[in-house]
Amino acid sequence: MQDFLDWTVVIGILSSGIRLATPYLYAAIGETFGQRSGVLNLGVDGIMLLAAFSSYFTVLTLGSPWLGLLVAILVGGLMGIAMGFISITLQAEQGISGIGVYLFGLGLSDLLFQKFVGTAKAISGFKEFPIPLLSKIPFFGDIFFSQSVLVYGAYLLIPLAWFILNKTTFGLNIRAVGENPEAADSLGVSVQKTRYLTLTLGGILAGIAGASLSIALLNVFQQNLTNGMGFIAVALVYFGGWRPFYVLLGSLIFSFVNALQVWMQVLGVPIPSDIAVMMPYVLTIVVLIFSAGRVRPPAALTKTYERGS
Amino acid sequence: MAIAKLLPSGHPRIDHMEMRHISKRFPGVIANDRVNFDVRAGEIHALLGENGAGKSTLMRQLYGLYQPDEGEIIFDGQGKTILSPNDAIKLGIGMIHQHFMLVNSLTVAENVALGLKSSKGFLTDLDVVVKRIEELTKLYGLKVDPHAYIWQLSVGEQQRVEIIKALYRGAALLILDEPTAVLTPQEVNEFFAILGQMASEGHALIFISHKLGEVMDFTHRVTVLRDGKNAGETLTKDTSKTELAEMMVGRQLKLVPDKAPVKVGQARLMLKNVSALSDRGLPALKQVSLELRAGEILGLAGVSGNGQLELAEVIAGLRPLSAGQVLIDGQDISRKSPAQIIERGLSYIPEERNRDGMIKDFNIAENLILRENNKAPYAKNGLLNFSVITKTAQTLVQQFTVKTPSVETPIKNLSGGNAQKVILARELSRNPSVLIAAQPTRGVDIGASEYLRDQIVRQREKGTATLLISEDLDEILALSDRIAIIFHGEIMGILAREEASLERIGLMIAGEA
Amino acid sequence: MKRLVVSLCLLLGLAWAQDAFKVAVVMPSATNDLAFSESMYDSLLAIQEEMGADNFEFDYADGTFVVDDAAAAIRDWASQGYDLIIAHGSQYGAPLQEIAPDFPDVSFAWGTAGDTFGMDNVYAYEAASDQGGYVNGVIAATLSKSGIIGVVGPIEVGDAKLYVDGFKIGATATNPEVQVNVNYIGSFGDVALATEAANTHAEAGADVLTGSAQMVVGAIGVAKERGLLWLGTQASQTELAPEIVVANQVYDWTVILKPIIEQVKAGKLGGEAYVITLENGGLDMEINDNAGADAKAAAEAAISGIIDGSIAPLGE
Repeated sequence: MQDFLDWTVVIGILSSGIRLATPYLYAAIGETFGQRSGVLNLGVDGIMLLAAFSSYFTVLTLGSPWLGLLVAILVGGLMGIAMGFISITLQAEQGISGIGVYLFGLGLSDLLFQKFVGTAKAISGFKEFPIPLLSKIPFFGDIFFSQSVLVYGAYLLIPLAWFILNKTTFGLNIRAVGENPEAADSLGVSVQKTRYLTLTLGGILAGIAGASLSIALLNVFQQNLTNGMGFIAVALVYFGGWRPFYVLLGSLIFSFVNALQVWMQVLGVPIPSDIAVMMPYVLTIVVLIFSAGRVRPPAALTKTYERGS
Repeated sequence: MAIAKLLPSGHPRIDHMEMRHISKRFPGVIANDRVNFDVRAGEIHALLGENGAGKSTLMRQLYGLYQPDEGEIIFDGQGKTILSPNDAIKLGIGMIHQHFMLVNSLTVAENVALGLKSSKGFLTDLDVVVKRIEELTKLYGLKVDPHAYIWQLSVGEQQRVEIIKALYRGAALLILDEPTAVLTPQEVNEFFAILGQMASEGHALIFISHKLGEVMDFTHRVTVLRDGKNAGETLTKDTSKTELAEMMVGRQLKLVPDKAPVKVGQARLMLKNVSALSDRGLPALKQVSLELRAGEILGLAGVSGNGQLELAEVIAGLRPLSAGQVLIDGQDISRKSPAQIIERGLSYIPEERNRDGMIKDFNIAENLILRENNKAPYAKNGLLNFSVITKTAQTLVQQFTVKTPSVETPIKNLSGGNAQKVILARELSRNPSVLIAAQPTRGVDIGASEYLRDQIVRQREKGTATLLISEDLDEILALSDRIAIIFHGEIMGILAREEASLERIGLMIAGEA
Repeated sequence: MKRLVVSLCLLLGLAWAQDAFKVAVVMPSATNDLAFSESMYDSLLAIQEEMGADNFEFDYADGTFVVDDAAAAIRDWASQGYDLIIAHGSQYGAPLQEIAPDFPDVSFAWGTAGDTFGMDNVYAYEAASDQGGYVNGVIAATLSKSGIIGVVGPIEVGDAKLYVDGFKIGATATNPEVQVNVNYIGSFGDVALATEAANTHAEAGADVLTGSAQMVVGAIGVAKERGLLWLGTQASQTELAPEIVVANQVYDWTVILKPIIEQVKAGKLGGEAYVITLENGGLDMEINDNAGADAKAAAEAAISGIIDGSIAPLGE
């Protein structure tokens, strides 16, 4: 058993946590947009799976990770629109619609995988891309600036999402539609259009989340590859109080603690594995309960909107 | 003169808007039947009518939410077609809905900016909006902090935000749909002061209401609708409340019910030094003592929020008292459960009738037996006897003139007046010792109000002791034998009907006498 | 979706082959997971080939990681006239214990487990995966240059725990200096965390890795990427990364399925527990050439030691 807190370990935990958080960040920020506009999309995990497979298959057959990413964006966007069609246009109950989208993505990704790939094959996806100069900074360079492009993207997304929500007219529309769609409608803000846009955006981000797994971090596909990550992402949105930076905080705590418990086990710290694997869940909930404070969910969340009703 | 055509906000005024021969049909209903209506710059024009008279339908056509089947809308001599609220806004029309169209989690400025094109493209231009709001608040004397969140504002302030929203969008003509329903009396006065100023500066204002007092006090002209048709149009100074009320309902009305003298009997409800806390844990009632005798109506006058709700709840057993004693017919009920208090003969018409007075998804018959649903003859051995229930319900519906297709209709489908009649029927049919009637006619049509008041007076003749809690001083004066004034949880005094006047009570409820 | 396929197969089966022996199996992951479910699927295919498609049919529901779904499938099949229903996953034990008594004429088998619940229509089966684990441990200790070996485990139960425990003993028996770092990720399906666990082992200095269950595909990817050696178990994982997979312990369930089928045909519906071992051929060590002669020799020695009883990985 080596020294638990030497620099290799600290760097290992941090860079591992940064990677682990990546898919959660894309998926949870996408979900944040949807929920701020009043739509709960429980289909994130299914969208992630379908996009993960599509991008994986693209890279497997055509070789280009960038093309794979593009396909993930398209597939994710289309699935977002599909969710919109079911829950906005057809006004189906949101929770049920989302579960439908999830099961569709889970089943179809598996079916296509069995049919066109068969057994898991490793692919060569996005490589680590050390940022010139920055990656040479001692300590921080290894942690923050020697990762895959999709990892950088996830962290740039947080301030961008905050900016969109709080500083743009689109963000203002989103927040209004999620709180009081009637008021927004009375001022000429289209509730349907806004919600379709957030769901499409959410779908695209869920798609990138899936791709970040299959063509950047894991470079493989398997049935149910996400293993429920999409649902954890939805939970992170709630715990983060629908605010991008708190969602980031939640994702990071969850991932860092997960990386920490992996390291603790690897280094032989005497702790039962059952307890170790619970740590990230317990700590994330505890920290967010105390830091994020009590935040009201968007008032129109899960409510379908029909003019004049 | 071109300059005189501009409003303080800098937008052009609308000198004359006319709606001519407007007809609008819905399946099975003619909501508007060749209605004429017009409004001029500089006036507050009341559009008066009972619920369902067609006021809102008419205004929704002006605001582009519906299109008329027949008729024309003319702005300063020019016919216009208004297909959407956006068209209406472009013509200079603003509408303030009865339920505010505000997003609570956004700031005032954000609410105003919502849906407007930003001067900074896809970025919001809240600094520009804030500046303009500050200009408008100065010009119109509408005090509001543009950076405040809506949830931090009082109802009156929220209404000012609605007006600013309309002015910001260049409204010259404002439609106000029952705007005072949610305001306290002080707020109503401030609100009309603002409207008066706006009118004097060239805005045209349409005030939709069924409150006669406000129409008489604050408007210049009145158009009355009844059953979708014009029922009259007059200058406010040339008419009276009684005349307007009769135009609304189309028959003679007794705003003050006949009261036969009744011999006052023994004390039925006694409160001895009752104190209680509010929901927030602050003292809401301080040493309140009252005595109600058989055959009398005691009016409790006061501005809402001065302890009336808590007083009613303490008597009904819904709120614990921190000190004192309540007795019904000499029996102490201070620590009894609501069910036991009902047993002792209390009937209660709650202020929040939609929340506390009925179960909205239940039908009329079910709501009528709520109090006694587990007793004979409605139930036996835990099973409901539906034939008896339906029969009783039909009798009561007929007796209390509830307008409904059947007793199986869900109560939420009834108008406010009819729903209140159902509650009244339930509470009076058991011939109570004590009746608490809290705001019995709030939000109720004038025709139904007349009926409800009359029933309360008839009950008095049967020996019930009634506590009438109302903010409507006209109602208090019309029904009460004695009047108690409550202020900050204390009884400021009790007046006999003869010594009470509107002015005197008005001062007392403000804590000034 | 799969239920539909299963029903169709069933209809066709009823119409065409009255006398065929009919098996249904529910599995937690895909039939090509390179691990647990694949081992059962391949075994059933082998039996079918041997007995002929007219005499042996099987239907399956794979990817049934939700236990309630598996319970529903088991109950459906039980009422549809199957000769033998296999619940392939220790997590299916609880529902099986409830369902089996309701269908006394149907034979059930479940694993990996050693407990038949005392019911005479339930067979149990398990793998002595500690044996192959031991052999893999011997190979790992022989090949490791850094002296550090990493293990990515799923949940600390069942055959995964047996494998890992056997592996540790095999490695330290070969070289007491060797350090075996073990990590259980708490899931059979979390590929992302298994990948990170493999990364962590590499960062901690491991140059040989192993792991059990279907979520290891990501870990094998890490090994491939970083040029570390990998030892597989349950099924052959060589095809995923031929250059770095040096050995696999492969489960061959035919060894126990055949006697179970014979017993069921003879009218004995359960009550026995079976184990696949190196000795009975249910465990097969596939050692690739890239293991090198030394490791191969050490492995062969360990195998014969286990078979003749001179080595008992977890004691007696």
